[in-house]
Formats: sequence, structure tokens, C-alpha cells
Amino acid sequence: MKTLNKIMDIYDNPMQIIDKFKAADKKIVGYRCLYVPEEIIHAAGMVPYPTFGVTQPIMTADSYFQPCVCEFVRNLFDLAKENKFDFLDELVLCNTCDAIRHLYSIWNRYIESVPCYIINNPQKMHDEAGYLFYRQELENFKIEMEKLSGNKITDNALQQSIELYDETRRLLKQLNELRKRDIPPITGAESLKIAIASMLMPKKEANELLRQLIDEVHDREIEDDNCPRILITGSIIDDPTIIELVQDMGGNVVVDDLCSSTKYYWYQTKKNSDPMDAIVRFHLERDVCACMHPSENRYDYLTELASEFDVDGIIYFNIKYCHPFVYEATIYRKKLEQTVPTLILETDHSLSGLGQLKTRVQAFIEML
Amino acid sequence: MTTKVTVPGIKNLQTTAEISNSIRGYYGNLKLAKEKKIPVIWSFGLIPREIYHAVDAPVLFLEHLPLMMGAKQLSGKYMEIAEEDGFSRDVCAFHRCFAGCAIAEEKDPYLDSFFVTPDLIIASNLPCISESKSFLYSADLYNCPYYFVDGPINTWGKNIPDHAIKYYSSQLQGALDFMEEHGFKVDMDRLKESVKLSLKMIGLWNEIDDLRKTVPTPMSAVDGLTAAYPLIQLAGTQTGVTLYERLRDELKEKVKNKEGVIENEQLRLLWVGVPPFFNMGLINYVEKYGAVVAKSMIEYLAGGAYDPSLVDPEKPLEGLAYKSLVDIINPTAENMLEFIAKSVKEFQIDGIIGAVKRSCGLLPGYFRMIKDSVFEYANVPTTIFDLDGLDIREYDDATTKGNLDSFVESLLASKRR
Repeated sequence: MKTLNKIMDIYDNPMQIIDKFKAADKKIVGYRCLYVPEEIIHAAGMVPYPTFGVTQPIMTADSYFQPCVCEFVRNLFDLAKENKFDFLDELVLCNTCDAIRHLYSIWNRYIESVPCYIINNPQKMHDEAGYLFYRQELENFKIEMEKLSGNKITDNALQQSIELYDETRRLLKQLNELRKRDIPPITGAESLKIAIASMLMPKKEANELLRQLIDEVHDREIEDDNCPRILITGSIIDDPTIIELVQDMGGNVVVDDLCSSTKYYWYQTKKNSDPMDAIVRFHLERDVCACMHPSENRYDYLTELASEFDVDGIIYFNIKYCHPFVYEATIYRKKLEQTVPTLILETDHSLSGLGQLKTRVQAFIEML
Repeated sequence: MTTKVTVPGIKNLQTTAEISNSIRGYYGNLKLAKEKKIPVIWSFGLIPREIYHAVDAPVLFLEHLPLMMGAKQLSGKYMEIAEEDGFSRDVCAFHRCFAGCAIAEEKDPYLDSFFVTPDLIIASNLPCISESKSFLYSADLYNCPYYFVDGPINTWGKNIPDHAIKYYSSQLQGALDFMEEHGFKVDMDRLKESVKLSLKMIGLWNEIDDLRKTVPTPMSAVDGLTAAYPLIQLAGTQTGVTLYERLRDELKEKVKNKEGVIENEQLRLLWVGVPPFFNMGLINYVEKYGAVVAKSMIEYLAGGAYDPSLVDPEKPLEGLAYKSLVDIINPTAENMLEFIAKSVKEFQIDGIIGAVKRSCGLLPGYFRMIKDSVFEYANVPTTIFDLDGLDIREYDDATTKGNLDSFVESLLASKRR
């Protein structure tokens, strides 16, 4: 499993990627969440870099945010205060939730080393007026990226970036398709790490490795005791511990619905002669985040995913105070349970209550 | 240990009593509308009320019902009902309480006296995610038509750009179309008239605020919270205008007579965050020190802080879009910080009380920025402590009063120096 090991190494040591970019004198633009179009950053000759947290207790962020704000966001801020994001030339956020909006204001006030920009994406999909609004926001963002990079973003460059990023998404999805098998050749934890590593890597390199990996794992056999097949959804998971916990308790996470994984690559950009319009529609026609409306689409999407991957149980993993998913789980639970048993877990991003989670997951898996 | 040493707030003004009567009248009309089979709308957020007055729609607003339940100390009971049905205790107490009221099969007579089920729901994401999500539960529960008004956050400060105005106007037009589709008649002339009345109200509200800046202040935040009701819920109505004319005149008289809320006013405080609706007497508690809570930030939620000269009644939707998007409660923080700092100076505030409602996704994130920006701008300190203004189950009287005691004592000590 040479390629798999290489990708795992990138996941474990992401600084090697950053060092390479810096050595090549590339500007790095951090971003969070999925409504920031990487293609615009890339077309300006810079590197889009998804910011992930680290599983550790909150240090200074509590005095800026209050402890009742999403711990993932507080964790990002902690890392910034510890200068862990100083390699970024700018951080770009988007309009997804209350905590991210606060991060924008608080970051710009208290973090001097890295400026922060926010894209004001609509929270309503499939709405022509929303497309126009988002288009204008992205035009403004394009100007911002041109200023930062010193490069003009041409339609041609944008089109090429779209194709490159679509290829990464296509390959990740192709790999994920293998998990539909009775015995998937990659585990849930591996799948998460592969997705995160691919998000971090330069896309040409990621695409090459993903092609090799698909061949490499095609005939791989993993021991399986006919474990219940699990779908994990909810807040961001940037540490595979929770997925490993499900595996350790006898569950097989065969698919997820996470912004650190499938949500990143599930959809492709539709062909369009106007690349900006293509990006607008890509973002406002996919049902990925609980912050978006109409919400029924998310429910349909989840049930289809559960059916396609022949899932026995759904686990919502919600970070405390992650309001979009906490509400979504409350609203969907009863409906989902009519077809698939569903467990809702609420815990810290730092996974401080792992023991308790273990007990609940174990009971759920046994019930399945 | 949780104690239940709670007392109602002391109001000093005749007009706020009239406003309370008007509130009762509003809910009486809702009940009546339901009996007459007129569709009732549930709504909330910063969706401008003027659009509802323009179609003469009976509307139950989510922000207000839990507040009334809190004042009767019933909110905890209904939050528990929602929690039993799966609502996390970490989501907004207002939304949990409202959901509990909707879910409860047996309702207290008090709730029953004004609660009406929805025929339509119009929701929004302004200003927070709870607003955006919680009504989805009710739409499922009552299986009723649902419309979502998407509001962009304010990343521009005071100058809202055309593309944002255009987008939010289209959302409001969508809400009007939705209401029309369900039996209401949209009358654009009436909407224009409603916007004109709304502008008149904001002019009066600004006059009221100027009078409140007088030392000693003629009106405390206890009256202020009731007085804000027309600003929020009756925006664009003649009733609202009349009530504010009376309030302004009453305050003028008090200012002329140098009649303050308390004798020998020594300190003026600003309340930021949700006040304790189940224990409004807490706002009067500091008066024993010669301190008065002269203003509460919550009075400005949903439409108190905009430039009326930028609203053209002939372009009502654009005007309302501007009013909503520029509102201080609409993230991000820039307008909120500037507005609070300015209020602190104008109201001659000596200290800010920051009450953190743990279940709120929106306000807690502002406190540190408010504290720092007000200190930098006006050298005025802030105390910040946990106080869920709606959830009496989380209230700790001794700790809360201890926080207030030490803050006010330190303010007095520094004033004496």
C-alpha cells in the first residue's frame, strides 16, 4: 500500500506541503468553509489551503468568544493566537454560521499577522436573485485575490482551475464508490484522511496519487465481521478518532456526509462557457451544508446516501453549539428513524467526553 | 444553588402601561383572526413588520411570545417540553421555548389566551442560525406552507451596496408573493404608507432617546424594554406613532421637571445582552446604589438604528431592505460596536453590564469586542457574566447579584477617586 502510506504521511505531516509551497514562493490563502471557491484563488496563481483544527483543549479563545461558541471555531482562533497560521497570506471565510461570522470579526480585531476576508454567500439555493448576488460577491472576491497575488485572473485560467479541481473531486468520488461493496477496501478513517490530504495537496499531485490509489486498493481485502454499515454526518470532523471509535465498537463507517470529506467532492461543476457563472451554480445547486435552504434537499440527500451505501445506521456527530447541525438533527431524527436507526451525539471538538461517546456508540451498534 | 428570589421590574411611565394594553389588544386580534378563519402567519427575525401591516396579516412573532412566557416564569416549563422532544439545551432559549409552546398538547391558560397555530410560516436567517432553522420544526409539526427570506450579513458597514439591497428586496417581494398566493391582498400603496409611518416612528424614537440622555434620566431600561415593543412589532402603524407621541410628551414633561427614575442619580449603566425577563426587578436592583440602567441594547433589535433619510417610501422594499441589513444586530460586528460605543458616550454611561445567554449563537461572540472597543473609545468598563434571560432554571440569584454588587461598587469607588 505504497500510495496509501504516502497519502497518510501527508495527512500526518501537512507542514511538508506548506514548506514546499513556501519554497516555491507561493502565496497561501487559507479558507473555511466550502462556499469559498478554491478555483478563484488557484487561478490567481496562489494556493487555497483548507484550515483544520487540532484536537486539543481551548486555551485563550474562551476569553474572546465565550465558551458557548462552537469549539471548532474557537480552536481555529487558538491556533491563530499560537501563530500556527502565520504561513497564510490571507484567511477567507464565508457566510455559513454564527460562529464563523464571529470568527471574521474577532480575527480581524485580534489577529494582526493574517488578514481575514469574508464572502457573503446566500443561504438560499436554486434562486436566480441569489445567483446574481453571489456572483457580485465573487467578482469582489476575485478583485481581492488579484490584488493579493498581483495577477489578473483570466477566464481561461479559471476554466483550467475548475477542470483541475473537478478532476480531484471526480477521483475522490470514484474512490468512494468502492465503499459501496459488501466489504469496502478502505476504512472510514482512511477515507477521511485521504479526503483531507487531497484537499491540502496541490491538485496535480493529489490527482496523480488518487489515480494510483484507486488501482492500488481496487483488490484490497479488509477483514470484516459483517459489521453494521454506518453513515456519519453532522459537524466537521477533522480528526478520525470518532470514526475509529465507531470502528472499534464494531461499526463499519461506509460513507460520510462531512465537509472534511464527501461534501467536498460529491458534486462536479456543470459545463458553462462563463466560468464565474459555473462556480456560482456549483455552490448554490448542491445540498451540502445544514446552513442552507431549502432544507428538505438535505434530508432527501441523506436518505439517498443511506440507501446507495446500504446503510444500517446513521450517526449524527454534532459539535456542541454547532447550531446548523444541532437543529438539523432535531428536525430530521424522527423522519430518518422511520427508515434508518439514527443516533445523535453531541460533544466537544476536543473530544473530551470520549468515554461517554464510546458507551453510546457501543449501545447503538449492539442495537443494530 | 438556584434560588427563586425574583421580582417584577418597576415601571415609572404611564405610556408604557398603555403599550402593555396595546400588546394585549394585539394578541386579542390574533385570536379573533383565527376564529374568523383568516390565515395566521408565524414569523420572526429582522423581517420588516411593515410588509405584514401592508397586507393586514395577523402575525405571531417568535421573539415576543417567549418573552411574555418568561415574564410569567413559564418559559422553563415549555423549554423542557421542547427538550423532551429532542431539542438540545444548547440551542437558543427563545426558540426552545417557542417550540415547546407549539409542541405542548396541554397549554397553560395564560399561553392559551394568545397562542394561535400557524397557517403559514415566514422565516429568515437574520440575524442568526436559530432564526434560520427552528421554524422548520414547526413547519413539519403543523404541515404548513413555509417561505424563507434569505438576508445577507452586513459586511459593508453603513453603506449597503446595490446588489445587496436588490437581493434582499427580492426576498421581501418573494414573501409578499407567498402571502398573496395564500389569500392575502398585497396593496403597494398601503406598504408605502406603512413605510412612511415607520419613518415617523423612528423620528419619534430618536426624540425619545434624546430625552433619555438627560441627567437624571427620565426612563429606565425596564420601561425601555416595554417601550421598544412598538418599534419592533408595530413598526409602520398609526398605533405605534400615537404611542410614541405620548411617550415623547410624557418624557418631555419629566425632563422639564428634572424628574429622574431615581433621586440622586450617581451612575448610569447600559445593559447588553438579553435582560432577565423572569426577574426584571434585577434591573432595578442596582438603584440602591444610586445607579440606573439607562438603556438596554436589546431595545434596538430589529430596527432602531438606521438613517431614516436613506429610506424612500416610494421605493418601500428597497427602503426596508436597507433598514434590515444595516441593523446593528445583523452580523458582522462593525455597526454594533460603533453604535454601542456611541451610545455609551451620548448616554453618559459609566459601565456596561454584559449578560451572556449561553444558548445564544449570536450575542456571546460580541462581548469581548464590545468590552474592548468601548474601553478604547470611552474608557468605560464592562462586566460580563452568565445570565440566560429566559431560562429561570439556570438562574443563580446570589451569584448574579454578587456580580452586580462588585461591579457597581467598583464603579462608585473609582468615581469617588
